[in-house]
Amino acid sequence: MFAFLRRRVYTSLVPLLVVLFGVFLLARLTGDPTNLYLPVSATPDQRAEFAAENGLDKPVLSQMVDYLSGVAHLDFGESLRTGESAATMALRAFPATLQLAFFTMLLAIIGAIVIGCWAAYRPNSLADRISSLLSMTAASIPDFWFAITGVWIFAVVLGVLPTSGTGSALSWILPIATLLIRPLGVLTQVVRGAMVSALSAPYVRLARSKGAGDLRVVTHHALRNAAAPALTVAGDLTVGLVNGAVVVEAIFGWPGIGKLMIDAILQRDFAVLQAAVLLTAVSIFVLNILIDAGYALLDARVREKSKV
Amino acid sequence: MSPARSLQQGTRYRAVVVATAALTVPALVTGCSVANSSHSDAASPDTLRIVLPQEPPTLEPCDASLTSTGVVVRSNITEPLVERNADTGDLEPKLADSWEQTSDTVWTFRIRPGVTFSDGSVFDAEDAAFSIDRTVNSTIGCDVDGYVFGDDELEVNAIDPSTVTVQTPVADPILPLRISFVEMVPSTTDAQDKVRDPIGTGPYKIDYWDHGQRLALVRNDTYWGPAPEYTRAIYQWRTEGSVRAAMVTNDEAELATYLGPEDGAGDLGVAYPNNETTALRMMATEPPLDDYRVREAIDLSVNREGIVKALFQGLGEPAGQLVGSSIVGFDPDLQPTPYDSDRAAQLVAEAKADGVPVDNQIRLIGRTGQFPKINETIEVIQNSLSKAGLNVKIEMMDTAGQMQYQIRPFPQGTGPILLMIQHGNQAGDAQFTVDQYMRSDGYQSYFGSPGYDAQIDAAEQLVGDARQDAFASVLANEPKEIRQFAYIAHMNAVLAKSPTVQYAPNSATGDEMRLSEMTHADTSANG
Repeated sequence: MFAFLRRRVYTSLVPLLVVLFGVFLLARLTGDPTNLYLPVSATPDQRAEFAAENGLDKPVLSQMVDYLSGVAHLDFGESLRTGESAATMALRAFPATLQLAFFTMLLAIIGAIVIGCWAAYRPNSLADRISSLLSMTAASIPDFWFAITGVWIFAVVLGVLPTSGTGSALSWILPIATLLIRPLGVLTQVVRGAMVSALSAPYVRLARSKGAGDLRVVTHHALRNAAAPALTVAGDLTVGLVNGAVVVEAIFGWPGIGKLMIDAILQRDFAVLQAAVLLTAVSIFVLNILIDAGYALLDARVREKSKV
Repeated sequence: MSPARSLQQGTRYRAVVVATAALTVPALVTGCSVANSSHSDAASPDTLRIVLPQEPPTLEPCDASLTSTGVVVRSNITEPLVERNADTGDLEPKLADSWEQTSDTVWTFRIRPGVTFSDGSVFDAEDAAFSIDRTVNSTIGCDVDGYVFGDDELEVNAIDPSTVTVQTPVADPILPLRISFVEMVPSTTDAQDKVRDPIGTGPYKIDYWDHGQRLALVRNDTYWGPAPEYTRAIYQWRTEGSVRAAMVTNDEAELATYLGPEDGAGDLGVAYPNNETTALRMMATEPPLDDYRVREAIDLSVNREGIVKALFQGLGEPAGQLVGSSIVGFDPDLQPTPYDSDRAAQLVAEAKADGVPVDNQIRLIGRTGQFPKINETIEVIQNSLSKAGLNVKIEMMDTAGQMQYQIRPFPQGTGPILLMIQHGNQAGDAQFTVDQYMRSDGYQSYFGSPGYDAQIDAAEQLVGDARQDAFASVLANEPKEIRQFAYIAHMNAVLAKSPTVQYAPNSATGDEMRLSEMTHADTSANG
């Protein structure tokens, strides 16, 4: 198992390096930030001074060397906009996004398992078809529309939820509901499909013939084998959330890393953008490794293959 | 499968379940509070909750001319020596109780006694001199410096603890108006770098700042003036206008700013004229825009009445000049160019017949989200210009992208450009507009002429009615002599206000929202 994890860590380093270089180069393609940070009357000398202070007057390769050297020392520089440490800003925003992603996926997985198993147990029944229709619809709804409509209905019209913010437990509901619909819809379909296959497998017939009840058949036999593909898809969906649920964070005023990244792009705040992207990338790689480890724990064939 | 193997797999499966539970339970227990969230937004009768469109990047007072900073800082945390009354345009005493022009190039300000900063230190002439010097003469790149003082350097001296003199390179009759933009800070403030959380003399001071979430001001109990009614003000920010409006209708905030008419504030929406004017700026250094007839055609193609009525829902007025009615130099007799699409097409045809390359593609550049319905406004204008016979392509950009084309040095080789701009004259005098937008070397001007520059120079030396008339003449001559602009509308703004708050927004509200002017509605009703 450790050999497997070690191999996964090594193979993750290459993509991480691609992200490292990529975010640096792509950020600089967005243009010169000078006009955003100097007064309109800035003289050529002041512009040159600004560029020199922030390393923007150096050749791109030289800037990259400075950047990589900083990364090696965990120094990502300072925000052009606020003057704060870019790493501090990214680390401050990230937990809020992680919290949102964690609870969203927890609810999505639980919901998908319950609904998917129920639908798969009665394939092609009315219940199965309704759940399929609803899950496909949920996977297709634009989150921006859902968020604004949710605010209007539940906050403005009914007055049972806050519009936005982070001030109370109720303020979690609309952001999580908005983020939940798509993963729930997608995962439900995946679990349903995997369960239909698992429930038709010979070992399930054997289990039934040995007297196993419906619940035991589903939870101890079929679900264990259907978990692996669902885990993979859940991992992909979680990666998307960890990247920052920008729309939700912007609409609900959630102080997460997605909004931070968008603001950094719009403000040409290179240091913050680089720190935020790198932090997110590292987290995603760790997440992928954990998913692979979970996959290996669930599926002996993966563990055996990794020993070869 | 052997019993041992089965047992091993069952053990691993249980390990996954246990590990998942071990991760989940602590998160559930701790997870009901959002990371980095140490304060709440609960309502309180003494607390004013205000929703802004964005978090202030800094509260540095010398950047107070930036809207996102000034709306929190100006007259709340910090104060200037003199203050402009947005309704009357008059300068009123603030931290200086009197001032006079003691020579052609020297103004003397007498400091108000008995004023302290919120940290308890005494405010005196040394602090005033330091604040002006730091804002205007230092190298920290203050936005106020660029916007108000341009390239000017001032010689500032604290003659005694209650007297400060300011000397300008040439006679400057409006220096006190410029000084009204300089917020006073203690002389212990960092002179080499900007600060994020300043100390000031204002009625409020900073209580806490949960970055990314909220910023709270608390009443300054050492304030020299009348105590404001609200003890505390909490600022939050939401990008989406409809959410800002919903926070007020849902009683989660008392005020929400920068709303559009479609954002759903309903009866709680208050429209008011701000000091912003929208216009198209024409790059007359590139064909076909270098032909006066083409520029006139563009001006004639803009259906101002239609845009204000249909797109702005009546919130605005067609504009005939770049300054609003509260600005010195505004000419009430200057009418907007009438909409005449036939004449526009005729002018383009005449220019084409004379060999002007009217088929050259013109880039119509706008800034996303600059004002409500900007996308639709630009589409309407592009359509009108196309009907007039011009080849116009729309390019919407973010702020950083658009500003490349707005401020010198302009990029080279861009081809002809029509740039949508929105100008707000916070200062109350047309000089701050024409210097930037109409001089031939203005920071936000494509071109001009020596003769027109001379008219501007002459107007700037005058005071009183003569100044008003001279600048009115400058603005009236712009379309005749230069025609760099096709003015669109003097804009209105909308804010949502709770019925529990008594507050009348004015043209300065967008730049400077004074908390001390906000009172409880029931208190106001009872006198």
